[in-house]
Amino acid sequence: MGRYITKRLLISIPLVLLISFVTFAFIHLSPLDPAEVVLHSQGVPKITEELIEQTKAELGMDQPFLTRYLRWAVSCLQLDFGKSYVNGKPVWSLLGPAFINTFKLTMVSAVSIVVLSIVLGVVCALKAGKMVDKSIRGASFFLTSMPSYWLAALMIWYFAVKLDWLPTSGMDSYKSYLLPVTVITINYAGIYFRIIRSSMLSNMNEDYVLYGRACGLPEKKITMHILRNSLQVAVSVFCMAIPIILGSTVVVENIFAWPGLGTLSVKSILSRDFPIIQAYVLVLAVAFILFNTISDIINAAMNPKVRNDL
Amino acid sequence: MTRAMRFVLVAVMVSIALLAGCSSEDVAKKESTDKGNELVYATSKDINDMNPHFYTGSMPAQGMVYESLVENTEDGIKPLLAESWEISGDGKVYTFHLRKDVRFHDGEPFNAEAVKKNMEAVQSNASKHSWIKLSTKIVNCNVLDEYTVELVLSEPYYPTLVELSMTRPYVFISPNNFIDGGTKDGVSGYNGTGPYKLTEHKVDQYAVFEANDQYWGGAPKIKKITAKVLPAGETTFLALQKGEVNFVFTDDRGANSLDLEAMNQLVESGKYQIVRSQPMNTSMIVANSSKSGNPVHETAVREAIWYAIDRETISKQIFDGTEQAAYTLFSSNVNYADVELEKREFDLEKAKQILENAGWVLGKEGEFRTKDGNPLAMKFYYDVNSSSQKTMAEFIQNTMKKIGIQLEIIGEESSSIATRRSSGDYDLLFNQTWGLAYDPQSTIAAFTSKSSYFHSTSGIAKADELYQKIEQVMVSTDEQTRKSLYADILTIVHDEAVFIPITNGRVTILAPKNLQGLSFKQTQFELPFERMHFE
Repeated sequence: MGRYITKRLLISIPLVLLISFVTFAFIHLSPLDPAEVVLHSQGVPKITEELIEQTKAELGMDQPFLTRYLRWAVSCLQLDFGKSYVNGKPVWSLLGPAFINTFKLTMVSAVSIVVLSIVLGVVCALKAGKMVDKSIRGASFFLTSMPSYWLAALMIWYFAVKLDWLPTSGMDSYKSYLLPVTVITINYAGIYFRIIRSSMLSNMNEDYVLYGRACGLPEKKITMHILRNSLQVAVSVFCMAIPIILGSTVVVENIFAWPGLGTLSVKSILSRDFPIIQAYVLVLAVAFILFNTISDIINAAMNPKVRNDL
Repeated sequence: MTRAMRFVLVAVMVSIALLAGCSSEDVAKKESTDKGNELVYATSKDINDMNPHFYTGSMPAQGMVYESLVENTEDGIKPLLAESWEISGDGKVYTFHLRKDVRFHDGEPFNAEAVKKNMEAVQSNASKHSWIKLSTKIVNCNVLDEYTVELVLSEPYYPTLVELSMTRPYVFISPNNFIDGGTKDGVSGYNGTGPYKLTEHKVDQYAVFEANDQYWGGAPKIKKITAKVLPAGETTFLALQKGEVNFVFTDDRGANSLDLEAMNQLVESGKYQIVRSQPMNTSMIVANSSKSGNPVHETAVREAIWYAIDRETISKQIFDGTEQAAYTLFSSNVNYADVELEKREFDLEKAKQILENAGWVLGKEGEFRTKDGNPLAMKFYYDVNSSSQKTMAEFIQNTMKKIGIQLEIIGEESSSIATRRSSGDYDLLFNQTWGLAYDPQSTIAAFTSKSSYFHSTSGIAKADELYQKIEQVMVSTDEQTRKSLYADILTIVHDEAVFIPITNGRVTILAPKNLQGLSFKQTQFELPFERMHFE
């Protein structure tokens, strides 16, 4: 098992390097002169040639491309992503807290998605084809298809303004979590419970179920076995859901004024804050690779066949 | 099963721990705001770095915390941190007598030494301040006695006091906050002399300003002002309905976080009022006259565009009458701008005539005009985040089509439009003049600046004459000469139609109905919060 984990981690290193290079190269392919971008984003009203040259030297922009990439890559390894063009603060001091805020939202949402998907998936599979199954699937189809910004606005209006139970936005207390988590959950649970349901259904037709029944095992015990086998598929799906939610909370964060990665990334893109954009892409890429690796490791732990494939 | 379950269990526990970590101490604090004597305003941007000698911070916030020597008011320049001043006969030496009862928020006395240190801190980073011409004229700042300072200039410069009154950079921060004896590498705190002090700042969430009870002008009545970061639109509207936020105003880019309809709806609810300032600036189309080979290089084409814009309809339909149609670059209440200029009203026939005379002919019906095989086509850029600019661009595109001009409209981010403006990579774009305190001198000075309007002014026939006059007017000491020079400058750009005015913009405030003392400054960038109070 240890060998598998080591191998799996070694494979991700070139991947991270490649992503970092592509990110860096793309941003530097942009036709804009970074020195001018810096001065614009600092709001300097009049930009002179002299000032541009001075800024270039300050930022080390006068160095060749590869030198700049290597310097950036090495400092990234030390978690030093440079300084924001806009306010000169270290990127990590901005990205770090935003990442934690989004991570909190993501984890709470992920748990609620997992719980809800398993409950709904099991109920629907057991009652497949019955009224309960049909109405749950119908409702989730309806809710999942609703654009999240619209759903969010409706919920803010009803629960925060009309009933006055919850804050409209911000991140002040546990109450602030309820609305955004609900919106994210509705958006994703509708997809994931179907995966559980269908894998339960296919497991129900397996020979071991028939054998269990033939042996006179109680129905409850059989269901637990089916669920256990169905979860194997679900584990990797859920693991990948975490980075997906991490990277796609933009809309929800924006509506709920959540000070997270989504808000920060949009703000940085609008103000052309290249160092933050670079770090954001890199952090998300690493998150994807990390969670992919984790899910592979969990699957390998549960299923020795996977372990030997590598 | 056990391992998978363990993973889920760990995940549950981690998130519970994280949730528990998000303090419940703030809960009580933020519940509702309209009960108290405080304002919470919505802003789409964080207040950012509040260093008063930089340009990244939010201007309304900087305006609450820092003050300048003098103030620009409707009745001209008035004392602020300087009680009085004298100007030497040759116009080169300004002597300021400071107020003696002023302290910075950290208790440090405000005196001549502090003024000198701040002036030197600004001047040591002069290349960032070249837009403000004063920064190129200051030679020395001398302490005469504890409360008297003298500013020595290299040559007389008439807008000196006006530029000293601006929100930045000539405002004062406690020298205790300097890093390495200056401010250009950042500051260690934000202690100004203003009516409010910054007491708490959570990046991208909120900033709290509390009344400075030791304020020399008397403690402000509104004890607490919070700037809350909220996205424009729906969320802000709902937060206002609920009362979590109770104040919004036009931001420093001239955009409102709510559209007219939403504001009117809030007023109808009975909880809010709308207050509008006098016209503050002019929104306009900037034409790139220096783009040779492009139709926009021709005066006739620019003039035809001017005639073909139906400003009255824009004012009525798009702005619901809240912004008036503008026919000159500066409205007549701007200093030196009361000049007799030809009024080019909406007249499609006249526009067609001008194009015909200039050789732009229509081929078949419904097609666009051409001249020597070149099509009459231009690119027009607008701020993609401004709903009114988008609507105006579409409206104007449609009218231009009627006279055979093809406009391609392109929405971009404001920073990208700023880059286009400085690189000259545009035909037409939306912009606005800088507002009462900056008009006309700063906006006109920007005609010669590459990062501002150089590309739009350098392609006209009288460009050299224009730049000469701008140079002269800034150093002229005689009021009559200045008046006639400004009249010449405004006539040249008007005749050449390089700045095509559309409407006069105002600052709009949406505030609780019982809030009194709402007024404006001479700039669209700040509000005098210290004058407001609840009934």
